[in-house]
Amino acid sequence: MAVRREKAERLADEELMPLVGRKDPEAFEVLYDRHGGAAYSLAYRIVGDRAAAEEVTQEAFISVWRSGARFDSTRGSVRSWLLSVVRNRAIDFLRSKAGKAPKLDFDDESVLEQRPASERTEEEALRRETAGEVRGAIGNLPGEQAKVIELAYFGGFSHSEIAQMLQLPMGTVKGRMRLGLEKIRGELAEGLA
Amino acid sequence: MNGNDHIRWSEDLAAYALDALGPSEAAEFERHLECCEHCQREMRWFEPAVQVLPESVERQEPPPQLRAALMAEVRDDAQAQAPARPEKRRSWSWFARPAMAFAVVILAVAAVAGYEIGKGGSGDSGRPTVLSTSEHGIEVKMVQEGDGGTLHLANLHQLPPDKVLEAWVRREGTVEPVPALLVPDRKGQAETTIADMSGVDTVMVTEEPQGGSETPTGEAIVTMAVPQ
Repeated sequence: MAVRREKAERLADEELMPLVGRKDPEAFEVLYDRHGGAAYSLAYRIVGDRAAAEEVTQEAFISVWRSGARFDSTRGSVRSWLLSVVRNRAIDFLRSKAGKAPKLDFDDESVLEQRPASERTEEEALRRETAGEVRGAIGNLPGEQAKVIELAYFGGFSHSEIAQMLQLPMGTVKGRMRLGLEKIRGELAEGLA
Repeated sequence: MNGNDHIRWSEDLAAYALDALGPSEAAEFERHLECCEHCQREMRWFEPAVQVLPESVERQEPPPQLRAALMAEVRDDAQAQAPARPEKRRSWSWFARPAMAFAVVILAVAAVAGYEIGKGGSGDSGRPTVLSTSEHGIEVKMVQEGDGGTLHLANLHQLPPDKVLEAWVRREGTVEPVPALLVPDRKGQAETTIADMSGVDTVMVTEEPQGGSETPTGEAIVTMAVPQ
């Protein structure tokens, strides 16, 4: 039996997942309302097209619904898991479109742009603060480190493809990935301190 | 392993975390990761940096029709599934391939060879039935008790972050996913519960994308025939 919407809204993501697994549309709807915006934004960032982002987001959420929401809490938060499902779908979409280059804006400082204010809950406030920190952390990276991370994460390119694309030795590409992630991680750790 | 080797793995680690290694490099790195505590610690440290990357993108408002279409599909699905779930089962097309059928026959023999009946046999109610076999170096044990069973796997490789193991049962010719996904622990062991074993003639495990799949998308890494 479906839980009522009001009850579902009071549940944490991890508590919603078993209900989604039991095919409760109300629980699923709450999950979408919490994370659908981030999922669509990520899909759009990767595929660079609104209609395609819509398709990718819908497919990702439907796969979560139909797979019974078999989420493993030991491997991160529900949100991280959902976004990784979206990312994988979006990269698959790009790869299925032979010859279609992903949207990669290195010069538009997109990582520094702010999300519209819609601070409704404490959780959202914290999330926005984290997002701001992340944008800051990525924005502070030297351009060559940000570039290889973006090509890998948002473009779905392997380190060897990136090396070829940027005409760099593969070791240099991997080194820049490492330095970039270390800096982001370091700034996150400072933010939590 | 010498220091130079470790520098190499250390360089691969960030690329692996970003899903930027090629398939063979990723498999090689995973083999190293499974036995290197230093790299495991580093990977755990790096993971949050990768997990926050999607939070860095510019916020886009999803179109209202996306939510409407999604929820319409979900509600239709929920309504259709509840009363007639068995009819929603899909046939396992690759299962019917001759090569796979042959493999199942062989493994059925292997499973029966490892068939241990808990001091009395399957007809001895209340006592567990244990089936065991091994495949691709993975040790498999199926413990049946009452209507249900537990599938235990050992000697598993660690999986990349975007992959999970998913178990499937074949019942009356159709394949159903087992709800709980399998995630290897640090010792390479994993288990999942199968609530209803009635009519199940085969249990299989495949590697699937994170979140699992509705139908198997890869070759089985484990296939165990269940004697009726």
